Amino acid sequence: MARKKKSLLIVDDEVNVTRTLQMVFEDEGYSVTPAYSCAEALKLMKNGHLFDGVITDLNMERDDIGLTVARRALELKPQPVVVICTGFANMSNARQALLMHVHYLATKPVELDELKSNLRRLIAIKDSGQKAGR
Amino acid sequence: MAPNRSNDKTALIVHPDMTAVSSLQNTFVKNEITAIVARDLPTALLAITQHFFDVVVVSSRISEEGDGWTLGGVIRLVFPKAFVLMIAPGTDLITLKNAINHGIDEVLEGTASPEQIVSTTLRSPAIAGKRHATPKERIQ
Repeated sequence: MARKKKSLLIVDDEVNVTRTLQMVFEDEGYSVTPAYSCAEALKLMKNGHLFDGVITDLNMERDDIGLTVARRALELKPQPVVVICTGFANMSNARQALLMHVHYLATKPVELDELKSNLRRLIAIKDSGQKAGR
Repeated sequence: MAPNRSNDKTALIVHPDMTAVSSLQNTFVKNEITAIVARDLPTALLAITQHFFDVVVVSSRISEEGDGWTLGGVIRLVFPKAFVLMIAPGTDLITLKNAINHGIDEVLEGTASPEQIVSTTLRSPAIAGKRHATPKERIQ
């Protein structure tokens, strides 16, 4: 039986970045939904879309608004792996990400192999936990 | 061997400095938390196979450079509900990034007093009882 593709929501207001990440992760076998703003991402999550992972930029409609995407994603059940991918990490937003228990922080320019392997690892941990009924 | 679980709260302290280990252990005990100590990586790894820990305090400088972070990540996987606090030389951006990426709950500077470290753990959901999900627990 064919294995269901893992689904990702990729949120970045830079179309080129979103499309590149979409291409990279589709090539890795993921099903990718792009969103080009925080508002669009929130709408997708509100509409009941389920994702195995959410990768979000920080600065979109305004600085650090990606934290709103991350916060909302962390509230979803089942909870996706939440990754912040930013070129504007600072002490303040990184501290907020730590306290809200974001799963991974990647700083731009992103090391794609590292991002791919860590996302795969975190989704596998999530899957094993769900199979164990935890 | 599977870790044993008792009703008492138990902390693991992993720090290379004997004085720091001793002060932290005394402060935990004063707060009625059993504290098991390890001053190197092998002892810490042995401890996590033999006990259940609610709180773990790790120095990022245990053994080789960076081993503390790796150990923190392992502890997060073994004890998804534990509160894991890292003691790092500073709390700069790289430290915070390391903490997020290893599933650490809190980072304090090496200059933090034992009282400050223990009081931070006492406020944690793992000890205070009002637990929020930790990163790995949440994704499980």
